[in-house]
Amino acid sequence: MIEIKNLTFSYLKPDGTQKSEEPQLSRVNLEILPGEFVLVCGPTGSGKSTFLKALNGLAPSFTGGVISGQLLINGVDYLGHEPHDFANLIGYVNQQPEGAFVADTVLDEIVYSAEQLAIPKDEISHKVEKLSKLLNLEDLLDQALVNLSGGQQQRVAIAAALISGAKILLLDEPTSALDLDGATEVLAILKKLAKEESVTVLLAEHRISRVLGSVDSVLVVHGDGSVTKGKPEDQFNDARFAPPIIQLGQRLAWKPLAISNTEAYQRWQSSSQTFTTLTTNLPSELVLKAEEVAVSFGNIQALKSCSFELFGNQITALMGDNGSGKSSLCWALQGSGTRTSGTVMVLGQDPKDLSPQSRLSLLAMVPQRAADLLFLQSLADELHESDEFAEVPAGTTAAIFQQLAGRIDTSIHPRDLSAGQQLALVLALQLVKDAPVLILDEPTRGLDYAAKRALAKQLKNLRAKNRSILLATHDIEFVAMVADRVLTIEHGTLVSDESPTQALGTGSSRASQIAEITRTPGLITIEQVKA
Amino acid sequence: MSALVTKQTHLLSAGRTHPGAWWLAGISLALSASLSSNLFVLFGICALAMLTVRLCRDESPWARSIRFYLILGLVVVALRVLFRIVFNLADASSDVFLNLPSISIDLGFGNSLHLLGAISMLSLKAALVDGLRLAAIILAIGMANSLANPRKLLRATPGALYEIATAISIAINLAPQLITSLNRVRRSRGLRGHSKGIKTIPGIVIPVLEDTIEQSMQLAASMSARGFGRRGNRSAKNVLVTRVTTFLALTFIVAGVAMLLISNASQLLDLSVILTGFVFAFISFKLSSGRVNRTQYIVLRWQLGDAVVLSLSALMVIAAFSGVFAR
Repeated sequence: MIEIKNLTFSYLKPDGTQKSEEPQLSRVNLEILPGEFVLVCGPTGSGKSTFLKALNGLAPSFTGGVISGQLLINGVDYLGHEPHDFANLIGYVNQQPEGAFVADTVLDEIVYSAEQLAIPKDEISHKVEKLSKLLNLEDLLDQALVNLSGGQQQRVAIAAALISGAKILLLDEPTSALDLDGATEVLAILKKLAKEESVTVLLAEHRISRVLGSVDSVLVVHGDGSVTKGKPEDQFNDARFAPPIIQLGQRLAWKPLAISNTEAYQRWQSSSQTFTTLTTNLPSELVLKAEEVAVSFGNIQALKSCSFELFGNQITALMGDNGSGKSSLCWALQGSGTRTSGTVMVLGQDPKDLSPQSRLSLLAMVPQRAADLLFLQSLADELHESDEFAEVPAGTTAAIFQQLAGRIDTSIHPRDLSAGQQLALVLALQLVKDAPVLILDEPTRGLDYAAKRALAKQLKNLRAKNRSILLATHDIEFVAMVADRVLTIEHGTLVSDESPTQALGTGSSRASQIAEITRTPGLITIEQVKA
Repeated sequence: MSALVTKQTHLLSAGRTHPGAWWLAGISLALSASLSSNLFVLFGICALAMLTVRLCRDESPWARSIRFYLILGLVVVALRVLFRIVFNLADASSDVFLNLPSISIDLGFGNSLHLLGAISMLSLKAALVDGLRLAAIILAIGMANSLANPRKLLRATPGALYEIATAISIAINLAPQLITSLNRVRRSRGLRGHSKGIKTIPGIVIPVLEDTIEQSMQLAASMSARGFGRRGNRSAKNVLVTRVTTFLALTFIVAGVAMLLISNASQLLDLSVILTGFVFAFISFKLSSGRVNRTQYIVLRWQLGDAVVLSLSALMVIAAFSGVFAR
């Protein structure tokens, strides 16, 4: 079906010279069979997206760069062709469906590709009928796309990619912007397409363990230009992205490794099942008290009367689905966001009454897109600016940054830092006045396992100084790694205040991957398992 | 996710009418405004445009853009009147309305420049009419833009104009995205306090531009991956010639209409320019049609509501040309 020979790809600088010594993809040779379900893995930034884009011509057409080698699809070399030249062979779905939609309603969106390819009308009708049945979209055809849930939107995007008659489907992290239900829904559909419709699926995915049992092979983009493809159990020697199910097997020295949840459960049952209890920090004094905080935007009530307390020496996770009101709550607490009613008190002061500058000595906040805070030309300028604004001795911010991220050449442009380093920089800028409360809104988006582990360590260090950290996220594994306490928010209302083992333990709707595999109460992270 | 409240629809609701009807109505209103010098007629046109949007719009993002056009219109009127007051041309013949001290500046070219001074009611009214005429045209276009769904309009575009229409549609779709990004970045920037000084501008502009360019590239990539831009069975030469003739057609038609409305040159010249445009349009349609390279699966039909909008627009244009609105 797809045969890649000596594929080499590298990005270009604006002046035409190659950006890096090492190409993103270097002399890749591999073959993908018809109907094969391939999971594409690799550390963040290794070039997973680039690899997928190279397969349908988006790289270099839309990314720039130079490509060489051969890209054979059904025996015909499509290397160097524009994506539209073989849109009838390959369908492509990306992370954010709403950004890629070209129409307003479901039906318009689905038929777009068929219209461009001049497929006759009655054939389109037939295909729409078949695909909408296959992807459970029959009742949604005249709906507006904006009114659909994330999972439904991705199903529409998949239908839209397949209507051209394509038998190859490329998906670039299609579940990363979805909540748990949405992700499950989309992954179930992909399994069905691969098994029943013999569609060749290439799926780049972060939630590896949910699909690992269903895939035929795992393809790893290593980041040094090499790409390998093989059986799932042989591909995860690189700890930077090994999923919990593989880590569990490696820790308990299972041979061969278990790759499906059922298989792993059986192996766990027959093992000694020893694990340590999760260590959580005991809270110190009260630092933040929120009473009946409500937020409305026009007629929409984002947050309905939330009351809770935050304590020092504690990491509190605020969990909830997309649109449940997490961000609204964070901004309302911080003081610069809308707060329709209720009170927020941080050590006796309401942050809303303070200037941005004096707020920094009470509350630090890292917003969803941390890079929005960076605007100067070099790291040194950013650090200096921060010291000046906070009116602290020169070098204060730099010292905090160095503790978080290590020593980095300060002449670098802030936008050239990695996502993890940018996050550390924003943390340093916000913590310059040693605020007792730190709020982070979805900090793990776009970070790989290694970067997440680094962030977890940083947060634990920050907690050690008697700080209270509020972490709004839907990243279950990250919460399992760091949280002392879990608040859950649903449709703008706080519904529970639990310990991590209750909130993420087996049987919970937010069970962590380890809890899901072992079905053992009290066990939620790989770190608890004894080798 | 905010559009969960579905608004009651009626015959003329934006969702149930053809986007082309609203553009024709907008152009008719603009044309009527440009032919009128009557304060009340112009004011009526502005009110009509606003009222139509109020009654017919739906919950879409572009429906909110009318506010922007209203602000622009008000600014235009205010500027026009202000300029007349500042750069006053003395008019002794009529009553003095506002007597401001006159300032003369000698620029050293002989004639000195007079600013302010006595302003007559008549010249103030003329300025108001000028400003209001422009505002009415702006609001008429704003009305069309607020009521016509750009994506639906794209669907209804004939093949020859398809590529140009796509570019315009993408541009229109990016405006709401730009505002969302701007708000997000401004709020985040607020965390670092002091948003003063020139050096913070790149801090706001760069992420917003980054978002917008990323978004448009993503959309373009998605369209290409789904077959947009395929030549089908047309030759490269045919595509090129079609593009050039389409471009020429649009240029000539727009220039012709502009000349007709603005200049007092011979109408024969204006009409011949427009006619040339139509000839190019015909050639381009001929070149691109007859070769199937796109299916129209969902065809927008003109309905009763569209007929109502169009007949009212036609009446308006006929009235305007027959001079009913002239004074």
